[in-house]
This record gives sequence, C-alpha cells and structure tokens, in this order.
Amino acid sequence: MMIEALIAVALIGSLVVLASPDRYAAQLALAISLIPVAGSLWMYSAFDGAGNALLGGDIAFETGPITWVEVGDYALQWHMGLDGVSMPLVVLTTVLTTLAILSAWTPIDERQSQFYGLMLLMQGSLIGVFAALDFFVWFVFWEAVLVPMYFLIGVWGGPRRKYAAIKFFVYTNVASLVMFIGFIALVFSLDVTTFGLPEITAALEGTGPTPLATAAFFAMFAGFAVKVPIVPVHTWLPDAHVEAPTPVSVMLAGVLLKMGTYALLRFNFTMLPEVAIEYAPFIVALAVLSVIYGALLALAQRDLKRIVAYSSISSMGYVLLGLVAYTVHGVGGATFQMVSHGLISGLMFMTVGVIYNATHTRMVTDMSGLADKMPVTVGVFVAAAFGYMGLPLMSGFAAEYFVFVGSFQSDTLPNHGMALATAIAMFGIVVVAGYLLFAMQRTMFGPFELETDYEIVPAPVRDVTPLLVLLGLVILLGIAPDLIYEMIRDAVSPVLENGGDL
Amino acid sequence: MTVPIEYYVLLSAGMFCIGLFGILTRRNALMFLMSVELMLNAANINLIAFALLHGNLTGQTFALFVIALAAAEVAIGIGIILGLNRNFGDVDVTEATTMRW
Amino acid sequence: MAAFDFAPAIALLPFVSFLIALTVGKHLPKKGALPGIAATAGALLLSIWAVVAVAGGEYHHAVLYEWVAAEEALSFHFGILIDPLSAMMLVIVSLIAFLVHVFSLGYMNDEGEIGLPRYYAGLGLFTFSMLAFVYADNLLMAFMFFELVGLCSFLLIGFWFRERAPPSAAKKAFLVTRFGDYFFLIGVVGVFATFGTGMFASVNGFESFPELAEAALAGEADVNTFGFAAETWFSILGLLVLGGVIGKSAQFPLHTWLPDAMEGPTPVSALIHAATMVAAGVYLVARMYGFYALSPTLLAIIAFVGGFTALFAATMGVVKNDVKQVLAYSTISQYGYMMVALGVGAYVAATFHLMTHAFFKALLFLGAGAVIIATHHEQNMWKMGGLKDRLPVTYWTFLVGSLALAGILPFSGFWSKDEVLYDALLIGLENPIFLGAYAMALLAVFFTGFYTFRMVLLTFHGEPRSDHAENAHALGWNVKFPLVVLGVLAAVAGFINMKPVEDLTGAEILYLEYWLDGEYGAVEGLTYGAYNTLVADVSGLGAADIGPLLPGVIALAVAVAGVALAWVLYNDPEPEEHTARLGAVRDLWYNNYYQDEAQVWLARNVTLPLSRRADTFDQGVIDGVVNGVGSVSLTGGDRLRRIQTGLVTNYAALIALGLVVLLVAFAVVGGWF
Repeated sequence: MMIEALIAVALIGSLVVLASPDRYAAQLALAISLIPVAGSLWMYSAFDGAGNALLGGDIAFETGPITWVEVGDYALQWHMGLDGVSMPLVVLTTVLTTLAILSAWTPIDERQSQFYGLMLLMQGSLIGVFAALDFFVWFVFWEAVLVPMYFLIGVWGGPRRKYAAIKFFVYTNVASLVMFIGFIALVFSLDVTTFGLPEITAALEGTGPTPLATAAFFAMFAGFAVKVPIVPVHTWLPDAHVEAPTPVSVMLAGVLLKMGTYALLRFNFTMLPEVAIEYAPFIVALAVLSVIYGALLALAQRDLKRIVAYSSISSMGYVLLGLVAYTVHGVGGATFQMVSHGLISGLMFMTVGVIYNATHTRMVTDMSGLADKMPVTVGVFVAAAFGYMGLPLMSGFAAEYFVFVGSFQSDTLPNHGMALATAIAMFGIVVVAGYLLFAMQRTMFGPFELETDYEIVPAPVRDVTPLLVLLGLVILLGIAPDLIYEMIRDAVSPVLENGGDL
Repeated sequence: MTVPIEYYVLLSAGMFCIGLFGILTRRNALMFLMSVELMLNAANINLIAFALLHGNLTGQTFALFVIALAAAEVAIGIGIILGLNRNFGDVDVTEATTMRW
Repeated sequence: MAAFDFAPAIALLPFVSFLIALTVGKHLPKKGALPGIAATAGALLLSIWAVVAVAGGEYHHAVLYEWVAAEEALSFHFGILIDPLSAMMLVIVSLIAFLVHVFSLGYMNDEGEIGLPRYYAGLGLFTFSMLAFVYADNLLMAFMFFELVGLCSFLLIGFWFRERAPPSAAKKAFLVTRFGDYFFLIGVVGVFATFGTGMFASVNGFESFPELAEAALAGEADVNTFGFAAETWFSILGLLVLGGVIGKSAQFPLHTWLPDAMEGPTPVSALIHAATMVAAGVYLVARMYGFYALSPTLLAIIAFVGGFTALFAATMGVVKNDVKQVLAYSTISQYGYMMVALGVGAYVAATFHLMTHAFFKALLFLGAGAVIIATHHEQNMWKMGGLKDRLPVTYWTFLVGSLALAGILPFSGFWSKDEVLYDALLIGLENPIFLGAYAMALLAVFFTGFYTFRMVLLTFHGEPRSDHAENAHALGWNVKFPLVVLGVLAAVAGFINMKPVEDLTGAEILYLEYWLDGEYGAVEGLTYGAYNTLVADVSGLGAADIGPLLPGVIALAVAVAGVALAWVLYNDPEPEEHTARLGAVRDLWYNNYYQDEAQVWLARNVTLPLSRRADTFDQGVIDGVVNGVGSVSLTGGDRLRRIQTGLVTNYAALIALGLVVLLVAFAVVGGWF
C-alpha cells in the first residue's frame, strides 16, 4: 500500500494546496512534498524486489491485481508494484519534485496555490506512471501527467508560452494515441483476459517478429520517441523548455523525459525483444543521430536554457543506445543514465534559473564574468557542467561509461557494428564539452558585464540549497553507483534473457 | 367521384416547392415563417390524402399533431423575429450573423 | 605496521587539504596553504616510506573499493598498485607538489592575490588526482583520475578568471585534452570489452590485460578481438589509448593547449609540466608498457610522434620572447624525448628522463616564477636582463636547471637524454625506420641548447632593460627553499643511472635500471627485463651492439654547439634580436606553424557553421514540418468553417441540394434511368 499512500498524499496534498491562500502555498507544498520523499526513501531502504516486474520477478510493495472494471472479455485491474528499474525513478520523482518546489519560491510570484497544486498533482501522476503494472491504469496516469504540465507551461511560462504549451500537448497527445492504438491492437491479438503488463509480456514471449508485433512495436516506438525525445520528433522540447518556468523545466527534463525511456524499456524492449533486435540497425542509427545531432544543435544555441535543452536530446540518445545493446551494462547503464540525467539536467536548469533570477537574461552574449558576483551559483554551474560532460566521480560519467561498455560489447548488430556505433556516439562527449565550456567561458568568466541593468547579488540560501543537494546526489551516485545500479542490474538481467540468446 | 391521389400529391409537391423556394430566396424572417408554414401544410395535405386513400385515421391524427406543432413554431418563430427586430432593427435574417466564427 | 597500510593516505591527504581549503580556507591564516603543505609533506613522507618498502623487496596491491560489483557482467573497482614505477612517481609528484605549495606562499600569498582558498583547493585536488592516477591498479581508475587531472588544470589555468585570456586558455586546455580523452575512453571501453579486465598487473588472482594480450597473440588465450586479427586489434586499442596520452602529454598534434596554459599562475605551470598533467600521459604508457611492447607498429608510431614533437616544439621555442613560453615549448619537446624512448623500448630511459625532467623543469618554472615576482610580473625576456647580480640564488639554480635541460655534462638532463638517444640509436641501427626518430631527437638537442641559453642570457645577463628589471625586489625563503632543493636534485639526480660511466668503468651503478628491473622488488612481468623481452621477441625489434660513449659524445657536442651559438649571439650587455635573420621561418615558428590558427579554423569555420546549418535545418525543416502540420490543420479548418455562414437560407439550400444529390445518386445506383 505504500505506493498508493504516496500517490494519495500527492493528490490530496494537491487539492489542499489548491484551496490554500497564495501566501502559504509554497511552504505548504514543500511540507507536503517532503512526505513522499520520506516515504520513497523508506521504500528504497526496505526494497526487497528481485528480478523484473514484467518477467515474473518478485515485485516490491505490490498491491493487487484487483479487478476493477470488466469490459467485455477483459478485466481492468488495479496492479501496482516496483522493481529495480522503477524504484530509483520513483525516488528521483519525489526528490526532484521537492527540490523543484523549493526552487520555485523565487521565480513564481503569482497564482502560487495553483502552481504548487499542479506540481503535486503531476508528482502523483508520475509516481503512478512508474508504479502501475496494468496498462489502463498506467495509461491514465501517463495522460494525467500532461494536464498539469500543459497548464504549468501555458500559465506561468515565458512570452510564447501558449505556443509552447499547445505544441507540447498536441505533440505528446498525438503520440500517445499512436502508441495506444499500437498496443491495443497487439493485446487484442493475444490470448489474455487482462491488461496486466506481466500477463501480456508472458503471452508475448517467444512469439517473434510477426507483422502485427512489428507494426505495434513501431507505433509504440513512435509514441514513446516523442516523449524521450528522439530525433526527428524532438522539436517540442526546446520550445517547451525555453518557455517553461525553471521548476517546470526541472520536472520536464528531470522526470518527464524519463517516462519515454522508461516506457521504451518496459514495452518495446521488454515485451518485443525480437522485433527490437530485428530492427536494431534502425534504432541504433536513431540513437547515434540523436547524440551527435543534438550536440551539434546545442553548439549553435545562444540561450543557456536552449543549450541545456538540446543537450538533453543528446543524453537521451545514449539511453536509446544502451537499451538496444541488450547487455547488462547497456540496459542497466541506460536506466542509470535516466536517473543520472534527471539529476544533472535538473541541476543545470535550476542553476540557469537562479542565474536568470538575478540577470533577467539567459542569452550567452548578454553577460560575462558572473563568477565574480555569484561565486557559489557559478561554482555549482561549473560543477554541473562538468558533470554533464561526464567527469568521473559524478553520476554522468558512471552512466555514460556503463552504456559505452555495454553497447561496445553488444552483438545486436552484425560484424561488431555496435562497437563502431558506440565509438561514433561517444564523440558526443567532446561536443558537449565544447559547447558547455564555451558557454561558461562567455558567461561566467572574464570581466563582469551585463546587458540588462540589474544589480547582481549572490543568490539567497533557499535558491542555493536545492542546487547543493542535487550536486551532492550527483557526486554520491558517481562515487557509489551501486547504490542503485545493483538493483537496476538485477531488474534488467531478465530482460536480456527474454531477448533470446543474447 | 373521387379525386385521384396523384392530384393531391402534385398539389402537395407544388406547395412544398413554393415553400422551399421561399426559404431559399427570402431574407425577411416573416416570409421565412410563412414559407415554413407552406411546407408543413404541404405535408399535411399528403397525410390527409393518404389517410383517405387507405381508410384509416392515423394520417389525420398526425396532421393534427403537425398543425399543433406549426402553431407552436409560429409562436416561437414570432418571438425570435421580435427579438431580431429589437436587436438589429430589422427582420432580415442575413443581418443576424454576429455569432458567426 | 607496514608502510603500505598507509598507502591510501598518500592520495587522500591532499584530498583532505582540498576539502579544508574549499570549506574553511578563507578563515585560515594562510588561506589554505598550510593544510596543503602539511598534506603534501605527509604524502611525500608516506611515498618515501613506500619506496623504502619496495626497495625492501615488496610490492603492494589492494582493492580498495568496488565501484561496480557485478557478478554477471564486468565489474569495476578502485585499487592500489605500488611497484617500483609507481612508487618512484609517487615520490616525484608529492615532492614537486610540496615544493609548489611552499613556493605558492611566496608567489600567491605574498603578492596579495585574492581567491586563494580556491587556488589551494585546486592544488590539493590536482595533487590528489595525480597521486591516485599514479597508483591506480587498472585502466578505468587511471582514466577517471586522468580526467580529474584535466578538470584541475581547467580550474587552475583559469584561476585569474576575471581576465579574458585565462578562461579561454583553460577552456582550450580542457577541450584539446578532451579530444584526446575521447579516444582514450574508447580505448578503455575497448580494453574492458576485449579482455574483461583493465588490470595493469597480474596480482592477487587478477589477470592483467597486457599479459592476456600477450597470451592471445601466442594463441594461448581467447579474447574477443571484434573481428580483427589479434595484433591489429591490439594496435588499434593501443592507438586509442595513445590518443589520451598525446592530448595530456601535449604531443603533436594536440600540443596547442600547453603554451596557452601559461596563463595560469606560474607555480601551477610548474606542477602541470613537471609532475602532474603532462607527465600523466607518458606515465600511462610506461604503466601499461607490457601492452605497447607487443606491437612494433605502435612502438614506431610512438617513437615518431615523440621524435617529431621534440624537434617541432624545440624550433618554436627558439623565437619566443616570453620566458614562460620558452619553457612551455621546452616541455613539449622534452616529453617528445620520453615518447621516443618508450617507442624504442627504452623503458628505463623514459622513466629516467621523466624523473630528471620533473626536477629541472619544476626548477626552471619556479625560477621563472621567482623572476616574475622580482620584476613585478614582467614575463617578456627583452624587458629583463642583468638579474644575475640581483637574484643570485635564482640565477644559480636557474642555471643548473638550464644546463640540465640543455643536456650538458654532468647535470641530470645529460644522463637521461643521452640514454634516450643512445637507446634510440641502438634500435635505429637495426631497424632503420627508427633512425628517423633518432635523427629528429638529435637535431632537437641543438635547438634545446640554443633556446635554453638564449633564455638564460636574455633574462639574467647583460644590462637591465626595463625599470622592473632594474628594481627587482628580493625574494623570501619560501621562494628560495624550493629552488635550492630542486637545484640540488637537478644537478645530481642523473647520477643514479650513468650508463657511459658504467660502460667505461664497469662499476655497477645503474641504480635506476636495477630498480625498475625488479632487482629490489617488483611485480613479475612489470619489469624492464620483461618489457625488453617483449620488445625483442614479440615485436621483433633487435638492438645494435655499440658502446654508449660515442653517441654520448655526439649528443653532448650537439648540445654544446647550440649553447655556443646562443652565447655568441646573445652574450652582450645590449643583446639584439637576431630572429629577424630567420626571415619567413621566424614568422612560421613565432606563429607555431599556424597550428593554433588551424585548430581555431577547424572550430570556427567548420564546426560552428556546421552546427549553424544543423540548427537552421532543425528550425526550418524539422520544426517546419511540425509547424506545417499545425498550419495546414489551422488553414484547413479556417477554410472549412467558411461554409458555416450562419444564414438559414444557405443551410436550407445545402440541405435541399444534398437531398437532390442523394436522390440522383439513388436513382443512378438504383437504375431508375
């Protein structure tokens, strides 16, 4: 019942905050959001799952399956539970929500109660997405995330917020539709009586790449690729990030993108491994393209937030590369990268937000020499940037290294093509260093200059606290990746066995 | 001596077309209303004529319903026309397009 | 209580000083210098203790921490390997770091710099990373600390971030070395994927990858060679790792960051050049020499890169006017020698030169730093002159360092460089292709002698040529002490491996060779003898049999010629610039063969436009399609709603029309006509 309790706290909390006056909303939301943090950390410490939730492993904190509604021959069930893949993501969600709420205190100065209420609503839905083991419950949560996100961008966003919010909503919603059709078509072809993900996975085992499975695979792949996002369906991301307020960007990059990769892992790569391997060349090409192309795009940007947004595309390319490798370190590294990227990109967006709060500009060309004025913030920015570049002893390096080792060893492509693809994709680490160093040199160092005439003072403690917490987590996971990597490996190993002889 | 059914049908069709023509060409709301009445009554003629032909009363009963409906329609229609006249100072139906798009 | 119980503390002590400086540094009396000095001194003592223990016939290996303890797949760990090579390097690094910390008291604290806690934190982290790199027991751990070394160089080179040049130089240093590290990382991943281990030494039940490679070549072990022949694949792996070495050790063509890195504080330059970052590359090759020794192709590439870099950098050093620039190019050149040595299988000579170079280059940089303090931060040699009398301690120590750098008997540089050249010649005579590397290295000796003494003469001799030089102020103990220590070492360090003397007298005095050959204690397989066997048997590089005397005399003569030319040209109270005589060559050298321009061009005129194109494509085509779908829907809807006129008449007409159409359709289908 712990999962339900977390979701309930978030949803009821969201109602309470919505009803509370604006003056207390922030404090109240922070206090409420601490409960899921504590709960999820307790769950992490008491985690007793083993194996993969979809492949007959021991599911931790399982409830159900309880039949909820019967529709024709099918029963919709309430089935929740965590395994080594979803547990870290739940912790990531709760921790990032709390920190995002804390980082919202300065920039959000109107309609606070609605803002924080929506944040908690989104948190509840996100936990549901990662914990649900029944397709319909999962899909309801999946869609429920979009609603608060739409309003968070559309109401509190920048000048082009409506464009960005609608683009985000329509894009991801159409994608969900495509995915839904593909998956339902697949389910109807099977001999199952529920929409439970484990049952469907079991029924699909060994069916091989039938035409229907292939079509369903690509429908789902297209649907999730939008969310990840994978080139060429990525263009909603920079717009959404640029317009979204800082805390929303943090959630968007930190957790929402992971929904896409998580779903890819759960649906495409766990349920239909034969298809994934059959079409591996195509998927690998997309992954490498995302990495290199995303990094190139980031190089051309002059807006700090756009730089970080495009670099997310690049980082998510590594996740895809790891997933398609079908090795322990490949799939495990991809999952680790989800968590790691959630922390680091959240940190980057938060830091850019703190800088924006002071300078009221994000353009690289508009400022220089900030290090003199905001030493701690700039220090964190430098650390975060190096984390993004994959500096050892920070989580980014661990994640990328696992992915690289895993995909280098992979036999998914013939003639050791994965090794070559990995080597090409790794060039991303040079480009990422290029644009981040360039941006830092222009904005942080050199003599102090600022186009917008604001007086720059060091950021207040409450703005810096979430930065330091996140930085601490990034370093902690970099030094001791096994804190979560052990359970991740345990949960992804069955996926590999499911993939046949790989 | 009975009038053959074809004549009733022709009369009814003729009246219906006159009504339709009125609806398609007139801009005055009152003329509209009259045209609608014509079309309804064209239907009535058909109903009564066939009732006579088949020798049961169902058609006549429905004709009565239609007359009642026509009366109600006129009542509402006149109300709308009065509203139109009040708001637009005219009973031209093409004027009242402010809700469009 | 054994020496090795404290081995982790060698690296951790500087890390603690980093933490102290970072957190409470600004409240401490010397802003974090004192913890740094204490930590590096502690590390030095522990390192010496470790050397003593190794000399007692032991070696040490321990797995400290399982980074990833996977059972079903590759696992990764941090471990310590202390053998003769790493023990020697630990002493060098901690000694130089200690002296640099002391020197910084004079260079930074006494000059009233701000931001000192950041400076000392950077030094602490730098020392920590390098020490951890040195005794890393596997390739992954080495890579991780290799990267951290790069981070520290970024932080310290860009220390004076309020100016424009240092952050730019810091960026360049990190980016260029990152480019090399990209290949290194592929190499690391490849080594793990191939051998399943990155261990340097076969100890404690581990198998080392060089030995697995050797066994695979002999057909005794089965490893995944990714579809290549084993030898080809190992050469590829070696080349990939070499990418990182070329980046960090500033070898051609990734050397361009190093001269720019002179923007950092001078003590940092000393640390980077003598003991940490630049040394890391060469040290890495020495560390996994058992792997490189397997492939003659790799050895030839290493030798040629080294020989070419040695000559190439030396020519550029000839025309520079900034004292630190001259030293920077000399560093590149000297590391070239070490690469030559490694390329010809001269493991001892390379390590020997690494050590003597650490002493004399640290000495020269600190000496230059002392001059810079004394002349109020003047770095142009043409504005110095006549400092000999005002700064006697600096002058004499600097002279010792210069003599060592130029390779003049009996200073340390002579012995080590002579051994490099001698070994290169031995291999070269049997394998003519290596003669090219030897020739380039020998020619570079001439240039080295020339630019070194041009620098000494311009800086210290003649008449003062500026007010700053005229009014040079006195230096404190904290400047003189490191200079004297290093001066003594630079003078005498060569005596531990005097090959020509041994040849003449027959006395057994090749202590370094015995040390590295495991006469006192070493891990089996990681010895000079073992490597020699590999180079000779597996790579098939035979060595000629000639005595070291004649090559030594030749090298010395060439060096003296260079010094003599400098003496003739610049030993003048009012020296003139003779560089104009070089004509176009001078411009070429002064502009570093337009290497920087080429790289900047590559970044600015190739990569950046490419990314702009990609951005235009992205915004125009990809996002254009997305927005296009939106616009098409919107326009379509807009057109379609036009039929909703709001006029009942029109609707009635449409209904009537529809009816007619339906009737006609039914009529046609129903066959009424």
